[in-house]
Amino acid sequence: MVDEAREGLEGELLVPIERDPDVVTARQKGREMAVEAGLSGSDLTLIATAISEVARNILVYAGHGEIILRQLERNGRRGVCVIARDEGPGIQDIPLAMQDGYSTGRSLGLGLPGAKRLMDDFEIVSEVGKGVTVTMMKWRR
Amino acid sequence: MADDYARAERHLRDVAEYDVERRRRYVDLQPIDIAQIGELREAILNHLDAHVEAFFGYLAQYPEASGLFSRRNLLEDARRLKREHLIAMVGGEYGRPYVEQRVALGALYSKVRLDIRLFLGAFQALSRSIVNQIMALSPGDGPKGFQRSESLMKIVFFDIGIIMDVLIADREQTITLQQEAIRELSTPTLQVRDRLLIMPIIGVLDTHRARQLTEGLLNAIRANRAKVVVMDVTGVATVDSKVANHLLQTIAAAGLMGAEVIVTGLSAEVAQSLVTLGVDLTKLNAVGDLQGGLEEAERLLGYEVVKTRVQVARRPLD
Repeated sequence: MVDEAREGLEGELLVPIERDPDVVTARQKGREMAVEAGLSGSDLTLIATAISEVARNILVYAGHGEIILRQLERNGRRGVCVIARDEGPGIQDIPLAMQDGYSTGRSLGLGLPGAKRLMDDFEIVSEVGKGVTVTMMKWRR
Repeated sequence: MADDYARAERHLRDVAEYDVERRRRYVDLQPIDIAQIGELREAILNHLDAHVEAFFGYLAQYPEASGLFSRRNLLEDARRLKREHLIAMVGGEYGRPYVEQRVALGALYSKVRLDIRLFLGAFQALSRSIVNQIMALSPGDGPKGFQRSESLMKIVFFDIGIIMDVLIADREQTITLQQEAIRELSTPTLQVRDRLLIMPIIGVLDTHRARQLTEGLLNAIRANRAKVVVMDVTGVATVDSKVANHLLQTIAAAGLMGAEVIVTGLSAEVAQSLVTLGVDLTKLNAVGDLQGGLEEAERLLGYEVVKTRVQVARRPLD
């Protein structure tokens, strides 16, 4: 899925995530890119919320990282791809982290599973000590 | 301010490997370049002092750079770091430690408020000094000298990119501080009737603002002895799970202080994304719009709004 995402259209944008306001920048840019890719209505808010969740995870667990936004086209269908990556401590047990209500921080534990539900495709790769990469996509309906 | 400065510096210092890799790619640094630079190492190390002098000698001409020259200890640090820089520049390793060294020097420039244009001028003087030496190394073989210089220029631009980022990060810090000042003014709590408050929230709701909002609201509840608060979020475009959690906790805290919170104006999109996220909103007392929220609040407080007959005083026509 990641390779596929790499073949994105011309539009690509990188948002470094280092402080709280960067989370807001990332979701605003994500919303803008989704509009460019022809998405509309509630999908825009769903994408913005999903970006917000993964960006916050970067700040909470890794301290800093980045969000890459890309436009996609597959079989004439357009969409956006969001890649969130960091070089933090990583996730030991991904299936556990993907469970609703599980959190090693003091949160609701809805970030990752919630983001997955908000998007169409969702993939998470992590190696302990090396960081986390979340790749997610949303397609135009 | 000093803390913020230290924080920005720490973020930059803590450079990620992929960021370094990307910086190398941006300037197209190839193994051949590193090999070419290796051929120059000894010669450049032999002229280290002259190159360092090219940089500081340039700056010394300008009174604008006095921030650096008036602080002896910082100037000494800068000279030492610049020396180390040149040694590393021909050292062949351009990984994370190299970038971190550059960031340290950039942070020093930022501390003495070195003008970006002056920095560029001094860096240009430094590279000219090095390139002149490179060209002199291969007399009669211009192309060779040119190729070597080109390879070294890639490192020069690699360095400039890092220094720029540090200097810009410092300026962004000022903007961030101003934004915070604006935010503090942006979440008012207003009393509409005895024991009834409204809190309109407009714009971006991030965690910082959510915290501020909690504090403001709880203080206002105490100060006004409020029983009901209508929190209107019509102007909020995105609510993620962290902010939702914060709002729920605020509502619970308000409850402990004896005030009920009614949330109004949740947009269809925000409602949908919160449900998809899986946030438990059963404890949320939500009413569609602000008007409905005020009506509900008045009902809870036992007010009854009665429409009186409109009386227009008729004056006899003269």
